[in-house]
Formats: sequence, C-alpha cells, structure tokens
Amino acid sequence: MKELKIFLIIVGLVLVGYYGIEPFAHHEMYGGLPKPDFNYLDLKYDIDIKGNPQNGENLFKQNCQSCHSLKTKNLKAMMDENTAMQAFNVVPPDLSNIAAIVEKHFLFNFIKNPQNATKNPKFAMPPMSQLSDQQIVDIIAFLEKTAKKEITGEKILEDACTRCHSVKYQKIKAFTHPENLKKYLGKVPPDLSLKGRSKTKEYLEAFINNPQAVLPGTSMPRLGLKKESTEKVITYLQEISDPHKEERNKIGLWVLGYMLIGVFLTYAWKKKVWQKIK
Amino acid sequence: MSDKKDMSRRDFLLYAIGGWAAVGAGATLYAMYKTWEPLPEVKAAGVVEFDLSLVKPGEIRVIEWRRKPVFILRRTPEMKAGCPKRTVRTSLGDFTIVIGICTHLGCIPNWESDKNIWHCPCHGGEYDACGRNIFGPPPRPLEIPPFKLNGNIIVLGEEGPEYKAMIG
Amino acid sequence: MRLIDWLDERLEIRKLIKVTLIDYKVPKNINFLWSFGMLLVLMFAILFISGLFLLMYYKPDSNLAFDSVNKTIMMDVSFGWLFRHVHAVGASIVFLLLYIHIARGIFYGSYKPPREVVWITGYILFVLFSATAFTGYLLPWGQMSYWAAQTITTLFEKIPFIGPDLVIWIRGDYAVADATLTRFFALHVVFLPVLIMIVMAIHLYSVRVVGSNNEDGKPIDKKKEGVPFWPVFMSKEFFVMTVFLLFFFFLVFYKFDFAMDRVNFEPANPLQTPTHIYPEWYFLAYYEVLRGFFFSQNLGLIAFALSMVLILFLPWLDKSPIVSGKNRPLFQIAFWIFILDFLVLTVLGKLPPTGLYAWIGLIASLIFFGFFISLPIIAKIEKKQLEGEKK
Repeated sequence: MKELKIFLIIVGLVLVGYYGIEPFAHHEMYGGLPKPDFNYLDLKYDIDIKGNPQNGENLFKQNCQSCHSLKTKNLKAMMDENTAMQAFNVVPPDLSNIAAIVEKHFLFNFIKNPQNATKNPKFAMPPMSQLSDQQIVDIIAFLEKTAKKEITGEKILEDACTRCHSVKYQKIKAFTHPENLKKYLGKVPPDLSLKGRSKTKEYLEAFINNPQAVLPGTSMPRLGLKKESTEKVITYLQEISDPHKEERNKIGLWVLGYMLIGVFLTYAWKKKVWQKIK
Repeated sequence: MSDKKDMSRRDFLLYAIGGWAAVGAGATLYAMYKTWEPLPEVKAAGVVEFDLSLVKPGEIRVIEWRRKPVFILRRTPEMKAGCPKRTVRTSLGDFTIVIGICTHLGCIPNWESDKNIWHCPCHGGEYDACGRNIFGPPPRPLEIPPFKLNGNIIVLGEEGPEYKAMIG
Repeated sequence: MRLIDWLDERLEIRKLIKVTLIDYKVPKNINFLWSFGMLLVLMFAILFISGLFLLMYYKPDSNLAFDSVNKTIMMDVSFGWLFRHVHAVGASIVFLLLYIHIARGIFYGSYKPPREVVWITGYILFVLFSATAFTGYLLPWGQMSYWAAQTITTLFEKIPFIGPDLVIWIRGDYAVADATLTRFFALHVVFLPVLIMIVMAIHLYSVRVVGSNNEDGKPIDKKKEGVPFWPVFMSKEFFVMTVFLLFFFFLVFYKFDFAMDRVNFEPANPLQTPTHIYPEWYFLAYYEVLRGFFFSQNLGLIAFALSMVLILFLPWLDKSPIVSGKNRPLFQIAFWIFILDFLVLTVLGKLPPTGLYAWIGLIASLIFFGFFISLPIIAKIEKKQLEGEKK
C-alpha cells in the first residue's frame, strides 16, 4: 500500500509536468492559429453565371496558352519552360488539373487579379483585365471539364508546390532553377521532405490556406487550394516524412503485448520469492 | 529467509522469465541483423543498363556492376571464338560479357589486343576472347553476370532467357 | 564435466556468484525507489546499444549529418527508425530516472555519512549524463540542435577576461559549425560514455562497501534484517524493470514528440533562429533559474552555475544526525516544497519569460536556493531537539 502511494505520487508529478511542458507551454508559446477559410470570402467577385466550355477552350488558346500548357488536351505552351523561366523567374504551371485543386471562387478572382488573390504583390502572372466576367467563367468551365475527378495528394504536390519547392527525399527537384527563384521570391523556398513532421497538421492547413496570416511577410503566395486538396496534400506530406508510421504502430502493439506478459511473469516470480520473507 | 534447497530447486517461473527474455533478445537481434542489410539505393544500383551500340567492333568497355568490373567485348571475325555457350548474340553481332575478375585469386586481367587475350598481371593466367581460361593457374573461365537483353540494351542484374540458355 | 564446474575450477565462478550476489545482503525495508539504480544501468545499456547502431550510419559532417539521420536512418535502414526512437526517448527518460533516483537519495538521506563518496560519484554521473545529452543533441544538426548549442556555448562568453576567446575555442569557429559538430561527436560517442562506465563502476563499488541505505536510515543487522541480493532483491528489480519498459516502449512507439521536437526536423540554418527555442525538458529548471533573475543577467548566470553545483554539497549542508527524512517532519516540508518548486521551474522554463511568468520565475528561483539555505537551519533545530530529549 505504501509503495502504491509512492508510485501514485510519482505518476501524478510526471503527468502534471508533462501537461505543463508539452500541451500547455506549447499553446502559450505558439498561440492559436488563424482559422482557415476555404471559401476565400475576402475575395469580392462572385460568380453567378454559367460557363461554356467550348468558348472556354478557344479563349484558353488565345489568352492562356502563350505561357500555360494543358497536357490532358495535348496543348503545349507556346513559350518553352526555359524562356518562361527567364521571363518570369518561375515556370508557369500546366493547367490540366487546376480546377480540381483550386477552389472555383478563388480561381475566378485569381484570373481577374492574381496579385490580390495570392496576397503577393510580386506574383508573376499578370492580371487578365482584357477578359470579361463571362469569358473567365467560360475558361473555368473548360478547365473543369479537363480536370481529373479524383486527384492524389502526390499529384497535387506536383501541380501546386514543386514549381518552387524541392522534395529531395522523393528525388523531386523544383521545376524552376534556384537562382531564378531567388530573384523571384528573395530566397530559395524550403525543401518539403520533412514538413509533414516538422509542422503540425493544423499549422500546415492554416499556412497553405493563408500564408500571410500565419507568417506575415512570407513570400509564399496564397494558392487557393480547396479544403479537400489541402487535406490530401498534407496527408501526403505526412506520409513521405514519416514512411514507417504504420509499421511502427503495428510493431508497437507487439512490443507492448510482450512487455505486458513480462510484467505478469516477473510479478508472479517476485510474489513467490517474497512470500517466504517477512 | 530462503534456504539453499529452495534455490536449487527448479524454479519454473524463473525459467519462464528466462525464456521470455530470450524471445525479446531474439527479436532485438533480428532488428539488428536487418539494419546491416544493404540500403535500398544500394540494391537499386544492383541493376545497370548499358547500350551495346556504344562499343565499336574489336573494342572492349569496362562498366561497374555491383562494385565489380564487367568486360564488354564486341568481337570481330578474326577472334574465331567458337563458344556458343559464352556468346551474347545481338543484331550488332556477337559480344563477350564477363565479370572481369580472375577466377584464380581475384585480380583484374588486362586485355592484350595484339594477342586477343586477357592476361592476369598477378600470376600470369590467360583467357581467350570468350573468357575461357587457356593458360596458367585459373581453374575456371571468367564468370558471366546475369543479364537481360532489350534489343541492344543490356540489363545487368536481371536474368533474361538468353542468360538462362547460357547457364542451362 | 559440466561447464560450470570447468569454469569454477579456473575462475572460482561459484564463489564469485556467492560473494557478489547471494552473500550480498540488502535491507528488507527498502521500497521500489531503490530499484532505480539498476534501472539506470539498464537504461544506459539500452542507450549504448541503440547508439551503436545509429553510429553505423551516422555521418558527422555538417553537410551530411541531417540527411544521414532523417533520411538514411529514419527512412532507408530497416528498423533504423526504431533505434533512433529508442535512443532519443531513452536519452530523455534517463533523466526522469536520474531525478527520481536523486530525489530518493535526498529524501532518505542517502548522502549522509558514510555515503558521501556514493553521493559525489553520483553527482559526477549526473554531470556526465548531462554533458552526453547536450553533445548528443547537436548531432542530428536540426534547427533545435544548432540553436541550443549556439546559445549554451554563448553562456561561456560571460566569464570574465577569458570568456569571448573561450567560446571560440569551444566551438572551434566563430559560431557553432562543422568543427563543433565533429568534436561534440567525438565526446558523445567515445569519451563521455567511457567516463560514465568508469564512474558508474566506482559508484556501484562504493555502494557495495557502505551498503544500501534504507527507509529508516539506520544501519541494519545483516543477519536478521538483510535479504540476499539474488534472488530476493532482483526478483523485485525484474518486476520494476518490466513495468518501466512497458512505459518506456509506449513512449517509444506512440508518444515520442516530447523527446523528438518537431522543430528539429528542420535542417540547421545559422541565419535564422526558430521563433521559440528552449532546452530539452530536463534542463528547463536550470534554464529558468538563469532567466529568473530577469533584472540582472550576471546574477542569473551566477545563480545558474550555483543551481547545478549546490546539490553536490548536500552532505555538508545538512549535518543533522537523523538520516532518513521519514523521521524529520521539518525536513519533509522543505523537501516537498523543493520538489514542487523544481516542477514549477521546469514548466516555467518553457513559458515565455514575460509578465506574471517572469515574477513567478523569480520567486521560484529564490525558493530553489531557499531549500539549500534551510538545510543547515533544520539540522541545527533537530540537533537541539535531540539534545533536549537526552537531558
């Protein structure tokens, strides 16, 4: 009974200490995170018109294809990647799946005014002020038609992140050359190999959703990812930064089971040895 | 207090604990054993591709495969090889493909193009253009690495039908 | 002939077992807190072995270290992650064991005559474990590794006259850099573990000579009140060990974040300090003493240095003839205030040192020293009481 009391005191002190150091201190230090807004309600233009994908295809060829490719329709950008990189210091993305990744309302506002939508005054794409609202909606309708319905986290990472970010443990190099990125963003963006482990899910979600709100002054643009694509890409980042998680959880159960048997065995032997004493 | 008789008596529980601990030690040793296995990138490097059309007739190329030299000799008719079981046939002609390690004591033989033989600098062993031992101490012909042919591309480290026919 | 007989003839193995294990009597009235010494030996062995397997793939080079840990060991080597988790969690938990072991020693007066050498060697072991943890923490070359080493080495700058040069000498560079990494590596994997093993041997030997203390703090009659080390004491030890290992492996597999800080999964960047840096939990209390005297940096440094050495002088601060805290009501009050204060300091060490926290930090730091000041006073009162009883 006396030993149980000592044991409980130790357990109590350890638990209080753990709570104080980990959850409590961490919360005090980092504070709360801004709540992600996946509807991008701060962007003012609303769409209430229906788009026409046929018109959209023509409009795409006239207005977008000079820089952007669309591989699913075999449309090649007129400017090759190197020329684009020299001109903009960043490789323009292929737009095959953009409508599956990016939220529609954001996309509309983005085409109208990329700098405003991304909250990044240096964002490379110029505003498409020559397009009417109807024309933009048509282009979006076309993009929606070409986009895959089901898209994996790995693919989202490729389309949305690796234009600027490398993922060296997956042998992915940023499409844009580091020197150009330095000119474009002021520094080379960090490698993403371990971001799933160095940051919490909540942090990544808030940061991807609105970089400026989490890290004021960052050169990372807001990219308008849908809730679903944000979650998928975070899950993927977590998987690649902790590839043995499943194995660990499974082996853990075996080890704990093994240890539990040990506790019973050693307890029985202890009792047997000690019953002769006292 | 426990007396001597109690201690020497077979204590079932103690043996059970001993056995239980041995299982744990075994599992730990297994994990340790696994950490010494070659890393994935090492295993991936165990398969090497090479384009045979890069070799001119009569020329010999040395490529590294699994940290060993592999000789790739594109034969010319003068070599009069006559060793169907040691010939890699492609649309480019016949090749000798062998691991360049002397079967005597593991030195790397040199190609002597005037005599069309490999001569081992260590103990003077000689091999003909097929890689067969023709003189000196080597007990066996030079070994043929497992390979697969994809047209004129040779893949070392995988066993194709041509390789199986050779060793079979 | 049986192996044991063959060995017995040549090595007197039976006699050795009898003398070291069976004839060695430990007091009957010791509770499971006396098991923590062997538990620490076990933990050291686990750290030694897991460290050995990490060493086989680790590369002590500022360009390669981070990837060799986080890619090669954590992702590519089969079970490499297991050895890393065991080593990281083990390095953290060993301090929990040390603190319990030390607290038990304080409460039951295990530092008092004739056990001063046990106490001193124990203190040296604590310093060596701290040094090993500190040097080892730099090796993964993450952001936390780098900035912890950077700030702690900066502390030496405040030493009068030689400080600035000393810091550069310790680092081998103007900031923590490759030279620092390689020398910390050498200390961590060879020098400090060897020293630990030597001092551990002396520590255990000194316990054998003077015998274990016990709950009542009175020397025992070994025939009546002693039990053989083997199998009686060890049967209990095994039980404590398995319970501990159950807890330990739970942490290793499911709750390792406390020992593997997220920030340390970012590679070291000498040009950018993380938003918050803090020591590992086992150094937080001393760190808070350092910050506690927020109005004077020099005072903080002196307090910081004192907070780590004062405990060595317990045998001379507390000269009360009563050994065990069980029989010392005044001492018990001081002890529990000290334990709670240490806990408060530990938690405060991770909180921002502003506003209310700064003031609590100051008070808690003062209480920390208050304990050591109270010891001679309590001893004096107890002496007087004893003399009064005799009259």
